[in-house]
Amino acid sequence: MTVSARTATVEATGLSRRYGITRALDSADLTLDRGVTGLLGPNGAGKTTLLSILATVSEPDAGRVSAFGLDPSDPAERVEIRRRLGYLPQELGYHRHFTVAGFLDYVAILKEITDRRRRAEEVARVLAAIGLEDRASSRIRALSGGMRQRLGIAQALLGQPDLLILDEPTAGLDPEQRLRFRELLSDLPGDPVIVLSTHQADDIAAICPQVIVLLRGRVRFTGTPAELAATAAGKVWAADQRDSSGHLSWRGGDGRWRHIGEQPPASAELVAPTVEDGYLLLSNAAGER
Amino acid sequence: MTSQPAPAASAAGADQHAAAETLASYAAGTVGPVVVWSVERHLAGCASCREALSAHVDARRLARNRSVVLVLAAAPDGRLRRLIRRCGVPDHLLRLMAATPSLRLSWLLSVAGVLAVVAGGTAAARYGWIPAGGRRVAAGPGDPALLVPLLVVAPLLVLAGVAAAYLPMFDPASQLAAAAPYSGFKLLLARAVCALIAALIPAVGAMLVVPGTGWLPAALLLPSLALCSFALAAATVVDPRAAAIAAGVLWLLPAVFLATSSAPLAVLQWHAQYVCAAVLCACAAVLCARRDRFELGWMR
Repeated sequence: MTVSARTATVEATGLSRRYGITRALDSADLTLDRGVTGLLGPNGAGKTTLLSILATVSEPDAGRVSAFGLDPSDPAERVEIRRRLGYLPQELGYHRHFTVAGFLDYVAILKEITDRRRRAEEVARVLAAIGLEDRASSRIRALSGGMRQRLGIAQALLGQPDLLILDEPTAGLDPEQRLRFRELLSDLPGDPVIVLSTHQADDIAAICPQVIVLLRGRVRFTGTPAELAATAAGKVWAADQRDSSGHLSWRGGDGRWRHIGEQPPASAELVAPTVEDGYLLLSNAAGER
Repeated sequence: MTSQPAPAASAAGADQHAAAETLASYAAGTVGPVVVWSVERHLAGCASCREALSAHVDARRLARNRSVVLVLAAAPDGRLRRLIRRCGVPDHLLRLMAATPSLRLSWLLSVAGVLAVVAGGTAAARYGWIPAGGRRVAAGPGDPALLVPLLVVAPLLVLAGVAAAYLPMFDPASQLAAAAPYSGFKLLLARAVCALIAALIPAVGAMLVVPGTGWLPAALLLPSLALCSFALAAATVVDPRAAAIAAGVLWLLPAVFLATSSAPLAVLQWHAQYVCAAVLCACAAVLCARRDRFELGWMR
């Protein structure tokens, strides 16, 4: 607990976790630096399992985690990690009879903010940050799905956490709210360690200086979004026709077909790869698609 | 309290206005109570000073304060909460209890409803308003076997209330509690004790309306406590839901078996009470020794 929060970050080595016969995580190694790290992977890749282990909510079968030099397998150090943690689970349930402010007040108490005035200030701060201040007295059951998702993000921000773990935070948000969320993350004070999982490659490209691709429980890529995009350099083609010669193909917003593969399809032109292209190439190579 | 300008009352009498620096200090909240009092007294009757004060007010701070007031208003104190707080229970503990399903009005009304039906039936049979049940169950209005339904149901309702207070399946935000630094064991105990009290009150009340129950309300206290402590202690070893079900079955089987025997209320006799006390002590010891298992999160 004497390790400076500024020098140490989050490290995981050899993390494995099974659910019955399903291997959710398979010797995953990763390091999270300060700033935003994006976690990309298809459904069932082990993202939620990995994040729940980092959030001290579940225990790995093998491997170890270190957050700010603290070991979550030690009860006292686990509590210390939780004091610095903000966590948005993938499927967060709500006490639907609570008001928005009442729910945040409840979570603030769980985060050991027991002084009522301080709690109210903290709740007001996160409500303003997430743009829900005019819904403070609304019942949660009366909120839309997007508002509930924002409320989930707001509770994770309580107490100005040093480690923010967000499992699919942009799910259910409209484009404007997603933009606001990106701004919110970039404006967070204290330069926290943030890890978020998402299916949106454009979220990764826009806000994550570091990206980790998780496939079948293994970390397959760690680097910058530009490096992920570069893995597909020379392999992304645009054409007017569909190609069925083993390429990964889909139709883009401009109406043209986009192909990923080693060989160019007929009458196709080479185009600059995106983060999504790099991710699709990687997951295709790993047999996910 | 960094500066103490002269009281506005002396510097700003009926014909004078408050000094700009006094108003600035007042707006920043850095003046003492005497100056606050005199400035506010002057402001009440002086429109130009009120206008001058607006220029010194930090709009962002004002907006923040407004938000805080709105947040406080959105989580108001009810009469009951104020009353309990006056008894020394911390405010934050009371607010944690609001997430306990077995302390919600709908749950308590359901418990009261079940007890009213069972106790009402028993009381009616005791008064002879309705037949005294099956031949094997009761021989007449004075038969102690008539109390068996009450005997079986009341501790089960108490157990259900306590189980609902700690089972993660009843807490939709249990993952947040698991990832929070607040002690899981402390939370569990607080919720369980409150649920226990909330269920015992109607259970004892229901027995008191049935004539001829004698010591039954008091005699059911130990079995109820033993059942709940067994469920909690067993939850440190097996799945919490299985532990609650096992506790219920362990009560139901002997109670029903004895109900059909010649001594239907044997479970309330002294020797049975000793057994319950021993179970309670043993389970409390197990619970204390294995309390780390309730630090939710780092467990399978």
